[in-house]
Amino acid sequence: MATSCTQKHLIRWIQLLLKCTIFLSLTAAAVSSRLFSVIRFESIIHEFDPWFNFRATKYLVNNGFYKFLNWFDDRTWYPLGRVTGGTLYPGLMATSAAVWHGLRKIGLPIDIRNVCVLFAPAFSGVTAWATYHLTSEIKDSGAGLLAAAFIAIAPGYISRSVAGSYDNEAIAITLLMVTFMFWIKAMKTGSIMHSTFAALFYFYMVSAWGGYVFITNLIPLHVFILILMGRYSTRLYSAYSTWYAIGTLASMQIPFVGFLPIRSNDHMAALGVFGLMQVVALGSYVKSQVSWQKFQTVMVVSLVFLLALGISALFALTYFGFIAPWTGRFYSLWDTNYAKIHIPIIASVSEHQPTAWPAFFFDTQFLIWLFPAGVFLLFLDLKDEHVFVIAYSVLCSYFAGVMVRLMLTLTPIICVCAAVAISKLFDVYADFSYFFSSSSAEKPNLSKRDRIMTLVTKLTVCGSFLAYLVLFVHHCTWVTSNAYSSPSVVLPSRNPDGSPALIDDFREAYYWLRMNTAEDAKVASWWDYGYQIGGMADRTTLVDNNTWNNTHIAIVGKAMSSPQEKAYDILKAHDVDYVLVIFGGLIGFSGDDINKFLWMVRISEGIWPDEIKERDYFTPSGEYRMDAQASQTMKDSLLYKLSYHRFPTLFNGVEGIDRLRGQNIRQVDIGNLDYFEEVFTSENWIVRLYKLKELDAMGRDLHTKGEFDRGSSRGIKKRVAKKPLLDVRV
Amino acid sequence: MRVVGVFRNVVRTLFMAIAVMPILTLVEAKPAFGSRTLVIYDQRLTELDSYSTFFNSLKERSHELTYRALGNDSTPISLFRGEDRLYDNLIVYPVRSRHFNKQLSVENLLDFFSSGGQVLTVTSPEGLSDNIRSFLNQLGIYPSPRNYYVNDYYHGDENNTLYLTKGKSLNDYVVSPGDYNLVYKGAAALLDNRQLIIPVLQAPKTSFTLDSKQSNEEWTIGSEGYLAAAFQSLHNTRLAWVGSEVFLSDEFSASNGRFAEELTKWTFGEKAVLKSVGFTHHHASGASYLESPYKVKDSIVYEIGFSEWNGSSWGPFTSDDVQFELRMIDPYYRITLLPSETSSDAQYYTTGNFSLPDHHGIFTFLVDYKRAGLSFITEKDVRAIRHLANDEYPRSWDITNSWVYLTSIYSVITVWVLFVVLYLSLRKPKTVETGKKNN
Repeated sequence: MATSCTQKHLIRWIQLLLKCTIFLSLTAAAVSSRLFSVIRFESIIHEFDPWFNFRATKYLVNNGFYKFLNWFDDRTWYPLGRVTGGTLYPGLMATSAAVWHGLRKIGLPIDIRNVCVLFAPAFSGVTAWATYHLTSEIKDSGAGLLAAAFIAIAPGYISRSVAGSYDNEAIAITLLMVTFMFWIKAMKTGSIMHSTFAALFYFYMVSAWGGYVFITNLIPLHVFILILMGRYSTRLYSAYSTWYAIGTLASMQIPFVGFLPIRSNDHMAALGVFGLMQVVALGSYVKSQVSWQKFQTVMVVSLVFLLALGISALFALTYFGFIAPWTGRFYSLWDTNYAKIHIPIIASVSEHQPTAWPAFFFDTQFLIWLFPAGVFLLFLDLKDEHVFVIAYSVLCSYFAGVMVRLMLTLTPIICVCAAVAISKLFDVYADFSYFFSSSSAEKPNLSKRDRIMTLVTKLTVCGSFLAYLVLFVHHCTWVTSNAYSSPSVVLPSRNPDGSPALIDDFREAYYWLRMNTAEDAKVASWWDYGYQIGGMADRTTLVDNNTWNNTHIAIVGKAMSSPQEKAYDILKAHDVDYVLVIFGGLIGFSGDDINKFLWMVRISEGIWPDEIKERDYFTPSGEYRMDAQASQTMKDSLLYKLSYHRFPTLFNGVEGIDRLRGQNIRQVDIGNLDYFEEVFTSENWIVRLYKLKELDAMGRDLHTKGEFDRGSSRGIKKRVAKKPLLDVRV
Repeated sequence: MRVVGVFRNVVRTLFMAIAVMPILTLVEAKPAFGSRTLVIYDQRLTELDSYSTFFNSLKERSHELTYRALGNDSTPISLFRGEDRLYDNLIVYPVRSRHFNKQLSVENLLDFFSSGGQVLTVTSPEGLSDNIRSFLNQLGIYPSPRNYYVNDYYHGDENNTLYLTKGKSLNDYVVSPGDYNLVYKGAAALLDNRQLIIPVLQAPKTSFTLDSKQSNEEWTIGSEGYLAAAFQSLHNTRLAWVGSEVFLSDEFSASNGRFAEELTKWTFGEKAVLKSVGFTHHHASGASYLESPYKVKDSIVYEIGFSEWNGSSWGPFTSDDVQFELRMIDPYYRITLLPSETSSDAQYYTTGNFSLPDHHGIFTFLVDYKRAGLSFITEKDVRAIRHLANDEYPRSWDITNSWVYLTSIYSVITVWVLFVVLYLSLRKPKTVETGKKNN
């Protein structure tokens, strides 16, 4: 007896040790595969949004939380400014500032940039841990370990959490999984403590990412489905009521969210289900008091009545403006063409485009075909928590198909379902105990041939799945290192001899801006570069990636699509000193401004349909061209002139070859730049900076001045004095 | 800090100005921006002796005159040494010399003018060189070409001489108001519409400008022609054009002298020159922007000081049309400034207390004083006006409307607590009935 007890203890200890080792190695794998970007490039903040988060974090660290909360940023959205403290999700910055302060307290003063760069990898370990617990609740700890391993290296999640990708999603996915984990626990046990934890982590999630609305709708949906399935219980009642009350009150403490939870349509489902929950609770109490027949009539009548009342109240409140209508982003989830027609600003973001099918395989490899299998296996069981996973899977599969970006929220549930499928598979096929068990009682009567065939089958299945797993690891590593580790601030490229090279034009240009322009200089550029200019060049921008004011963006779009004299007036009215354009025609960088130009035109056409017309920018046959056939409006537009200014001089001075579009650009089409002067062009011509010329002191318009200067430098002088044609002097 | 610094400097100069004042008043009139004056004339057209009154008047105003005669040589005239201007003022008499275009190019003239040199151009139907013509054309002044004379059968004679009795200046700052009896013989100019041109003397309604040698289209008809025009660039450099050489000559100095003197005084910055001695803005309480950045609806004071050059020293400039603007693309406020203090060399203006708009953003504190004939003054300061911080709104109990909500919240809490206490303490144990209910 004593020996078996110690044996059990020993096994438990070994299990614990194994688990710890597995978790440690999982975390190591998760972190190290995310470090490709640092090793390949350097410890640098990536892309666009992370630059803002980084800048905000620095502000928080330097000025403290109170000032951060009330931060009025006068260096963006000039001259409107941005109430930054009230329009951001502070969770990410607050967390990294806390980490920074904590490390300092224990004597590890680390540069805040390094904290930010390594933030996402560090949290991916926590995600793996939360996924383990979630999946353990769904199936068992074996499936949990598999799910944790999958999420640790799945490219779909790595795409937003490599080192340097300091974005809200980096922490949000972790919080998403933790919240769901606590919710499942709370829902299963009815424990108020667990649902309070779920609410607290929901609050954390609200403070970190706008995608919290997903939780706000998924949990009520889960509850709603359970109620419809007749699985109402007091456990569900206490879990949901606690979560909703605490979570909603807490989420309203975030300034950016404010009263949205009770005023916006996106949150109405949660409120409705909360109401329904009370009604159902009352119903079940009544049910326990009265007979079944009476209860049925009462239920039907009251349900119809309540439903009608609720829906009509929702419509009425929305109509009278008490509840904010659905946001554009929400509509574009259901109708993929909605944004393109009504809100070009949303459609213009590449990550809001529908997902291409190969992306699913690319991001999750063999998990994608195990995913439906896992969902099916859960259907077979269909416990309360399985309903949750199924609802999550169905919703997110749709969303991920609509928007590339939402691939991110789908990945965790793919991992969970695939882990369920594989672990079920291994439960059946990796069970070799039968061959080792000594007691003959367990051995059914089987022929030797059957036994060997069983063994072969089991070995084949296990072997092939092990091979798949190995392939999966290879695929993940390859995708991570090749596709998701580029900072997009520095571009990888190859020299003519094949050796790797870096294109560092962006930093070169931003550094030039930082060192050579006045500290209060205002830089106009398309909004994509706003955060980078703010973060790297520390100059005031007109518009940035926080696209809160469509009209202001349209102003910049209008300037870019107008002829230079008109653009000059628009920019001058906004005190602009410099204009920054991205031009990829020399080295074939495809993300340049000319490729984004139609969005500028569309967005400004939305505001000024009389002045800007998209059709004018195409050739008569409807092509988007830059060469001799381009329309006159296109050739006159500021962006065309700024992009191609002096470009043919790199070739023969008459015609230049745009390598990105494969078209010949003629000097005669580019013409002269009278209102702007080139001040900087980066090594590969990706970033071009222009300064607005000063108004002519003599009161001439700058075109006349330019014509005069060119005329006199060519030595042409008018000998004959002709009577000028002048407007009547008034 | 910058604004404060400027203001401190202003105060310092103010004290110095007071200290130096007695010495200054002894010194005679002089231009505000320098008195090195170059006179270019064509030997074949112009006898300097017949302009002695004009030159003496300049000398009395402490101009250091350098004469440069143009003959048959073609050595270039240098207005610059390196980047430095050699002269502050330039007077160009009518020139016929063929070499003049090369000696002094239009670009040189434009450079000189835009780098702050003041120019007086005198042209005549005999002498209008191409460089001067194109230079003037660039400024929007189109003098009639060679051999075109302005004539008038009512006010002139057959020699194309005009006698303008009661000639009036069109701009009081350039030439002070009054009736002038003027004698004029020469060209008339067309002026374009730009606001930097200040017409000074208009041709009579009955005048016309015609080629004296062949019949051509008239250059000007009636009052569309101008006999003298002034120009002030955005950088406050000044130019005047007169289309008649004899207008300045000794022969007519008795009638034209005062007009000519006023015109040259204006051109060479001896009058109507303004400057700002600095501006400041701060909270009505006296705290500066640095101590406490502005937020919406704060009470603010804006002050600015203006000086005017009276020919010998800077004195206060008094006017009732100075306006202050608070702009964010569009003006949110436009306040006419009220004179506050006057010192010996500046007049200070103030907005008085005004409250900032209830709109956060980055605002420009702007005084843009541009009046034809006076120096332009633009003072700009870009400042952020922030929103209310989270703890700067009134608390809920300060708002009487919220009392009803507060009452309901606290009554619910109290009643709930009471309920719990009563429920827990008054609950009686009861036996639970088992068995099916069948009511």
